[in-house]
Amino acid sequence: MNHAINPDKCTACTMCVAECPVTAATRKFRGPKMTGPALDRMRKQIQDDDFMLDYCSNCKNCDLTCPSGVPISTLNMLARAEYYKTHKRKSQADDMLAHGEKMGKLVCSLPMGSMLMNMGMSIGKAMHMMEPLGISGKAPMPSYADESFFSKFKKIKQQSYPKKVVFFPGCFINYNQPEVGVDLVKAYQANHIEVIVDESFVCCGSPLVSGGYLDEARENSERNTSIIQKWISKGYEVITACTSCGLMLRQEYEELFPSVEVAENAGHIYDAMEYLAKLYDEGALNTNFAAIPGSLIYHAPCHLKVQGFGRPTLDLLSMIPGVKIEEADAGCCGLSGSYGFKADKYEISMQIGAKLFERIKQSGAQQGVSECGICRLQMKNGSGKDAVHPISILAQAYA
Amino acid sequence: MRMHDVVVIGSGLAGLFAACIAAEQGKNVSLISYGAGALTVGGGIIDALGYTDDGKPVKNPSEAIKGLTGKHPYSKVGIAGVEQALQAFQRIAAAEGYPFIGDSTKNQWVATAIGALKPTCLTPKTMDGSALKEATKVLVVGFEGLKDFYADMVQKNLLNIYGERKEIRAVTTELPFEKGRDVRDISAMDIARWLDTEEGRAHFAGQMKQYVKPGMVLLMPPVLGTMPNYCVQEALERALGCRLIEVSSMPPALTGYRLNKMMTSYAHKLGVRFVTKAKVIGSHIINGVCKYVVTTGCGREQKHYGSTFILATGGVFGGGLATGMGEMTEPIFNIDIEVPKVQTEWSHKALFSDGKQIFAQYGVEVDKDLVPLTANGEKVAKNIRVVGRTLAGYDYCYEKSGNGVALATAYQAAMSIGGAKK
Repeated sequence: MNHAINPDKCTACTMCVAECPVTAATRKFRGPKMTGPALDRMRKQIQDDDFMLDYCSNCKNCDLTCPSGVPISTLNMLARAEYYKTHKRKSQADDMLAHGEKMGKLVCSLPMGSMLMNMGMSIGKAMHMMEPLGISGKAPMPSYADESFFSKFKKIKQQSYPKKVVFFPGCFINYNQPEVGVDLVKAYQANHIEVIVDESFVCCGSPLVSGGYLDEARENSERNTSIIQKWISKGYEVITACTSCGLMLRQEYEELFPSVEVAENAGHIYDAMEYLAKLYDEGALNTNFAAIPGSLIYHAPCHLKVQGFGRPTLDLLSMIPGVKIEEADAGCCGLSGSYGFKADKYEISMQIGAKLFERIKQSGAQQGVSECGICRLQMKNGSGKDAVHPISILAQAYA
Repeated sequence: MRMHDVVVIGSGLAGLFAACIAAEQGKNVSLISYGAGALTVGGGIIDALGYTDDGKPVKNPSEAIKGLTGKHPYSKVGIAGVEQALQAFQRIAAAEGYPFIGDSTKNQWVATAIGALKPTCLTPKTMDGSALKEATKVLVVGFEGLKDFYADMVQKNLLNIYGERKEIRAVTTELPFEKGRDVRDISAMDIARWLDTEEGRAHFAGQMKQYVKPGMVLLMPPVLGTMPNYCVQEALERALGCRLIEVSSMPPALTGYRLNKMMTSYAHKLGVRFVTKAKVIGSHIINGVCKYVVTTGCGREQKHYGSTFILATGGVFGGGLATGMGEMTEPIFNIDIEVPKVQTEWSHKALFSDGKQIFAQYGVEVDKDLVPLTANGEKVAKNIRVVGRTLAGYDYCYEKSGNGVALATAYQAAMSIGGAKK
């Protein structure tokens, strides 16, 4: 087991409990300190029987708060996977939401698949067919794109440049919002970078880990790790535009499935905005931005805050003439991957997000900005204002 | 290259306050932190100076601070700096809608979670020391199922202090909370969240009304709302017609939590750039100037360039000072701290001895401008300032000066940087 996973590093200071959004929303959750490090000490002796584990949303605010570097949420996820080996799941929702990649592949490969699927979801919702499956009928299910990013990417005519990066789009961009990937290619091309997409990548595994399907996540980790190895051995860096994919590839693989390769890869994986900010630091960023008048409100995803690279989106977007951007600083959006889609978690999720929704509504900003697709859905759902990926704003400024 | 006028390391009170003051001066500021600062576990009040070296309570902190000499951080800052810092803090607190009461010429006595009294200087209105002092009747309010607050013990200890001078009673109130195996234990934060709601306040006020008498103050664990404002306190005082006062409490202490939220909110409004979950592991100093500090996080190292660096990483407990057998260092700028090689000489034999602990006073030596000095008395780098508990020369725990020193040194550091450059 990874040396970093040591519950005894926890000094029981309880700051994680104070900052845990789920703990704040419901007493059905024992809180990160208890379900994480405290119970983990017990788990070394006896089999766990803590049903409250189910309530952790894996948002990682506990990890963010912990001054001692205890990977609290990962302790929870490891325990959850063990727990569900011997306990019945509440519904089919866990299975469906953890395996979104399967659905995405299927839907985007069928003619009119996305249309039928999206229609099916609306009808399903209207007919209250979702609840029996354990999925909330009120949650903002993401609609499927009519063409996957993989397919759209093939039609983009890129200028070839010596500098190349490998883009890991992840399921959400590939199957739900391919336009984010297209904008990434635009923005990178404007910086004389050629984008490579490797279709052999599989889901990063984040939803599998959250659902407690650790063995499948391990398979995905092994596959992605070897693909990343192949590309970095050629001297290419790997870019993600979803902060949860990025966190999974860079940090959670190391916590959950540590290996020499995983550790080596982590140093070569960048968030799309982080990478451009690094170019700026090196004096290599194209800052020839067209003016975009407008005010934006930026929500930093929890899974970004915990990666330690600051707020490159604020650094970069504030360079665009006309852009006024403020940070929401309003905590977790609540949706947290697939958490808020579950019928028994929807209310918790909306309660968590309430502060952010109010902040966006009050701000007077025209548009929300966030790197995380799930956060963007929730921002729109809760505040009524659209939210976009920052790379799309950059692509617009380069146009 | 992204370059900041000021790079602050550490997000406790000293770091946050330094960042805010520098940003108010027009500086562009980045604040690097790894985990939350100790604010949330602290009591959220500002001790300036509670006790003299020989253990006598301080009535007038300003006067007592004037008399401090030698290595004490206050003597570096000077009384004018200390007073300005406290005033600046009160200005920020008021601007955020969470004003602090008190001033540096007069200590207040506030009740602790066990019903002892401690001297402090600035408090939120919910901990106003004068309310307890002036009350003729004190009702200690406990909550059924709250394990971190024992109303009977608080009552007993207060009786020991006040004797016949006050009528002191205790009551335990019921909470209409779900009970059983499906829900976790009740914490002070849960009660505060309940009192955040109108429904919770109505329920609580309805229960307490029967006990309230003229001249009474209700003494409670910190449960008067989760947010840095006085909405909950004011609403309940209106409903009950008496004062409601909080004691400091077991972590997570609501009062510290609110102070953290207040400072963070103000820093965001000023555009302070937060770099979270990034551990600063080193620095690059050339020709007596620090060029950048290096962080780790998620697989790689990153450089953070700045004109001035403010070190606010705390002491041994906060991770700002690293110790081994017979040695102590400040790990980011690699400053050796002179300590006895024989570890037993670091402390008095009795942990709770009747004097300042020796180890508690170990820290980074600085000059008048809070620039760190090597063992030879040379500047480590002229553009570094050290603030808060990382500093040598005081035992905040013994003398009750922790947050006061944090504010005073942070203010001094942020103001010493010079005019606006934005």
